[in-house]
Amino acid sequence: MADTMANATPAARFLTRDRIIKWAPLLVLGVLILLFPFFEWLEDIRAGEAHAYLIDSRFFSIRNAARIGIAAAPALMVAVGVTFIIIMGSIDLSMEGTVSVCAVIFAFAFLAWSGTVLSWAWLAIPAAMLVGAAMGFINGLVHVKLKIPSFMASLAMGFVGTGLALLLTGGDRTRVEDPIFRSLLTERWLNFPVMVYVAFAFLLIAWFIQSRTTLGRNFYAVGGGEELAHASGLNVERVRLMGFTLAGVFFAVGALLAVGRIGIAETATGNNFMFVSITAVVVGGTALWGGIGGVWNTLVGVLIVSVINNGMVVIGLPAYVQDAVLGILVILAVVLSTDRRSVSFVK
Amino acid sequence: MTLETLKPYLPWITLFVLAGIVGAANPAFFNPVGLVALVADITPLFIMALGMTFAIYIGGIDLSVQQMANLVTVIATVYLAQFGIGVAFVCVIVGFLFGAISGFITTRLYVPSFVSTLAMGFVALSGAKFLSGERALSMDATLRDQSFGWMFGNTAGVPHELIIAGVLLFIAWFLQKRTTFGRALKAVGSGELAAVASGLNVDRIKILAFAISGMFAAIAGLMFSVKLSGGDANLANGFLLLAIVAVLVGGTPLTGGVGGVVNTVIGTLIVVVIRAGMVYLEIDATQQQMVFGIVLIAAIALTIDRSKLRGVVK
Repeated sequence: MADTMANATPAARFLTRDRIIKWAPLLVLGVLILLFPFFEWLEDIRAGEAHAYLIDSRFFSIRNAARIGIAAAPALMVAVGVTFIIIMGSIDLSMEGTVSVCAVIFAFAFLAWSGTVLSWAWLAIPAAMLVGAAMGFINGLVHVKLKIPSFMASLAMGFVGTGLALLLTGGDRTRVEDPIFRSLLTERWLNFPVMVYVAFAFLLIAWFIQSRTTLGRNFYAVGGGEELAHASGLNVERVRLMGFTLAGVFFAVGALLAVGRIGIAETATGNNFMFVSITAVVVGGTALWGGIGGVWNTLVGVLIVSVINNGMVVIGLPAYVQDAVLGILVILAVVLSTDRRSVSFVK
Repeated sequence: MTLETLKPYLPWITLFVLAGIVGAANPAFFNPVGLVALVADITPLFIMALGMTFAIYIGGIDLSVQQMANLVTVIATVYLAQFGIGVAFVCVIVGFLFGAISGFITTRLYVPSFVSTLAMGFVALSGAKFLSGERALSMDATLRDQSFGWMFGNTAGVPHELIIAGVLLFIAWFLQKRTTFGRALKAVGSGELAAVASGLNVDRIKILAFAISGMFAAIAGLMFSVKLSGGDANLANGFLLLAIVAVLVGGTPLTGGVGGVVNTVIGTLIVVVIRAGMVYLEIDATQQQMVFGIVLIAAIALTIDRSKLRGVVK
């Protein structure tokens, strides 16, 4: 490949840096989807039970795709939320706290208002989203008004959120057993549970916000060059505040799906969302420096992370390997998406 | 007198005011024996914060310290029988290397330190889970006392933890104040571009700062492991927030360049006082994280040097 790039100019023009960065995540996803069944196939041959590659694969099956979808749906919502922030060139690390608080408040309100979606208890769903918006707004205020770098402001707010969830629950778990709410997981259309469709619907909303609204365009303007955006009359502070608030709403949706998935709301509901969602966004091709990428990249990123997690279990690798693989993956993704000529130094 | 001139003294004032309040509410707080025990109890956290000071002093952050300590508790427990006291050496080397790798990724590969250290933290967590088999391990009591019994105990009423903390503090202080490396750290923290322009090998200095942070986190993990006589991939969870709080409350701002290890001593003492205050005021342990999260925001807001952010806060 290096030869063709050196010799043939059309190929070189075809394989521009921008284009590689744009399509690499999808390519990685495709390769992973073919690679895991291959390992599985090798394993079976070694065990003397050869099966047809891809066709009889346990990994490459509708049933497993549904499993990946269930694992990915809440993470996708959280990752989509943080995508907006990363497009602006900031970061939000508060998701674990926000998700926990939203999940817990949702469960409390839902049960207090009689515990079934068919009564006024459905109001707990918008209530949770409002709580998410409020937490995102406070997060944004701390970042914008106190002029604290977003990674630290949001990290601290995340600790506050986890602490608040712990305070509310006292460390207890709350079960949400309403069959209609749980149909997010139990009801299946075309082999996929409802929560996958819900997540997809919110992805479409996010895409609409990103590409069809002024706010969405403003995120890119801020991420592309804040001084320029400011000079051209944009109220950058307001855009940032709105971004963090919007992210909070998506974290709340992630919390609702997470509760729908396991039927339990607790302080630990938010665990692991931070690293998984940041990894997914970055691996999907949204640059940490802002201005590039979007929610479809995040979909690809979440799928890459979920496929890796699922595939490693299917081919029999122990679970502890996943943390290290994700750690290395996020570093690789940031390295590959960084244009070194344009970065003088990093903190 | 403006806030700016007051700023360097703010940590001291905070410490004395808080101690005064807690002491007024509960005079038993000033009982020297109790105080010494309180301070000795927090030594592992102090050591971790001491290392973190170096990462923050150069304007970075090290989010891997907690996982680093987790990994070391497991290493110490697993290899104690094999290496005896030599396991301490292994732990320190592992911490140094992990920190150096984080530093390398930050400086040479242009990955912001909060991402690189977060990611390396997960690599460390993976290692801890692998070595421990995802179980809580415990040390053999006789072996532990043979190799590390000296870490805990009293000489003339002074707990050994405090002596260890004092020695490490002296080393850190010496590095920061009395060596060219220390001056270089200050130069990098005050203005990285200027440091590059004046011919310093900034990359090497930053990598070393992260390595020192990892090394101190490892020592903290080792002490914690010996103290609790065991190791587990989640043992040190909860340390990260307190370590960051200790550094920032002490007056080393997130933007780096000022403050230093002595400030971290004050910061750690403030953490001790707040904790003790919460016990006396019967604030539930579940609220501690929230309180410290808010304290953290207040501390950053007060200490951060906004002129260095050049108008753009990302």
